[in-house]
Amino acid sequence: MEATAHTTSIRRWLPGGEFLRAYGALIGMVIVLLAVGVLKPSFLSYANVGNVLRQSAVLIVLACGLSFVLVLRGVDLSIAQTTDAAAITAAALLIHGQPVWMAFAAPLALGALIGVFNGLMMAYLGVPAIIGSLGAMFIIRSGEMIYTKGSEPQILFTLPKSVTADFLFLGQKTIGPVPALIVLALVCLAIAWGLSGLTPFGRYARAVGSNVRASFLAGVDTRMIFAAGFVLSGLFAAVAGIAMAVRTGIASPRGAEPYLLDAFAACYLGTLASRTGAVSIPGTLIGALFVSFLSNGLTILGLGAAARFTLNGMFILLAMAVGALRRPI
Amino acid sequence: MRHPTILHALSVNNLLDVLKQGAALAFVALGLTAALVAGGFDMSAGAVSQLTANLAAGAIGKGLGTAAALSVGVGAGLTTGLANAALVLFLRMPPFVATLGSMFVVMGLTLLYNHGQTLTLYDQPVFFRIGQGTVGPIPVIALLLACLLATLHVFFRHTREGLRMYAVGGNLAAAELRGIDRRRAVIMSFLIAGGVLGLSGVVLASYSYGASATAAGLDFLVSALAAAFLGASLSRTGELDMIGTTIAALFLASLSNGLILLGVSNLVLPGIQGIVLILSILLGVIGKRAIGQVTIF
Repeated sequence: MEATAHTTSIRRWLPGGEFLRAYGALIGMVIVLLAVGVLKPSFLSYANVGNVLRQSAVLIVLACGLSFVLVLRGVDLSIAQTTDAAAITAAALLIHGQPVWMAFAAPLALGALIGVFNGLMMAYLGVPAIIGSLGAMFIIRSGEMIYTKGSEPQILFTLPKSVTADFLFLGQKTIGPVPALIVLALVCLAIAWGLSGLTPFGRYARAVGSNVRASFLAGVDTRMIFAAGFVLSGLFAAVAGIAMAVRTGIASPRGAEPYLLDAFAACYLGTLASRTGAVSIPGTLIGALFVSFLSNGLTILGLGAAARFTLNGMFILLAMAVGALRRPI
Repeated sequence: MRHPTILHALSVNNLLDVLKQGAALAFVALGLTAALVAGGFDMSAGAVSQLTANLAAGAIGKGLGTAAALSVGVGAGLTTGLANAALVLFLRMPPFVATLGSMFVVMGLTLLYNHGQTLTLYDQPVFFRIGQGTVGPIPVIALLLACLLATLHVFFRHTREGLRMYAVGGNLAAAELRGIDRRRAVIMSFLIAGGVLGLSGVVLASYSYGASATAAGLDFLVSALAAAFLGASLSRTGELDMIGTTIAALFLASLSNGLILLGVSNLVLPGIQGIVLILSILLGVIGKRAIGQVTIF
């Protein structure tokens, strides 16, 4: 095919060979962040880096969940809404005087339920994931709006400290020298990495993602695996919602929507970090960290949401373009 | 005895209002359908429509006149369409990812342009005629829609070029064996989609007296997708169809209008749109026994 010849010629033309091809994207990300640091030295200060790391916990968890679905060649556009719904559930339960363990358990159950709904719809009924999860996104959003009577925020920090202390602990305290939120993100990362790298589920998921027909013939329960991806993304989104609620002490509908773009950008940028151009948990971590630091840097530079949307969109396109050039055909 | 809301819902004034609302949605849905016909996908449809609404409102606000607003809007739409086609063809990206990326870029550009401010227009009788005016009893926007629909229907159903685009979308391998150039079909479909979406933005700006600043890209998208797939499931063959899309868009608008008249809170509407979207695609896919994978790399 002529497309193949086209790619090979570009590949030959690319300088630096193997090393640059493997690590070029990573080097590019570091250079971008260093440039921001040179322009605004406060960006690389100890306090700011710690702050961004703590903030990035939500995105890391969310993007890990999305990675599972992307590995399966699915898409989940409802994750940001699930995050919001989980945060609102947790906050509302505390406000109504429910015990703290409920504020952790109920959002997780909700996330799993949304995941099961998505999974049944995409895997067993065959609705294309873009359409199904877009529909789910709007259904969940409606639910949040009705519950909060049109976006009234659920505010936690005005409650007496005795009620919220055990809940907000996770967002504001440290375990030893490490902030509790970072510990939460690390635990989620470890679970995600373990699931994708060490369990049969991870192998089946990659099989379904690369060739669903072949994996079906090899005896993989493709529908079950595909559905499980959505359950995982729902669960991880719910954890992200809890993380968001404990960090900010406030939950309102559509509060997590910007994270949808960030999560996609993180996953697609993450494909550049792996040699095969596949979605991987370590890659997603790198992507999520880059996206978090960059959006913080843009804020410090005085650039707002407009620049963030534009740049992250371009990063998705750039990651795909570079991936197309690198991918063996 | 008849219920008063039913009487109101069927009153001539309300029907004309619904026709206007539905026509505004139908413009976006027709643009999206043009992208879907040739096997593409356009996540950026709603965002492009909002960008062009802002550009058109901006042009009118600067006193450039209706013709300038139209050409700015359609020009911007064509540009994004061309960019999407280039991403899909020359960088070989799956349409979902290419248009997802361009959706976010376009949303960013919209924010850069309007600085997060709503652009409200006052006192523009000529421009407002597009979205709000009437010819006799019939809204101008409905006449415009009818013209566009007729053009698109004839193009997609009765010209060689349009039928080839259907062939590429329906069965790419078979179409290529018959010597149809996929690239030409893809470029055409994204260009037509971009042009129509640009037009839809101009119409929206006139219909709603300006352009809103809230990033509503996905909201437009979900209604437009629901209209396109509902339209497809209405047709006998389950194919995407311009007339089906238009009927479905008008139906969805009257559904929202009727629900609000019945006293249903407008907070429920997004959820209903989501349900309609899922149900309308479900009719087409439930017999196929596939899983809902999409091409994302």
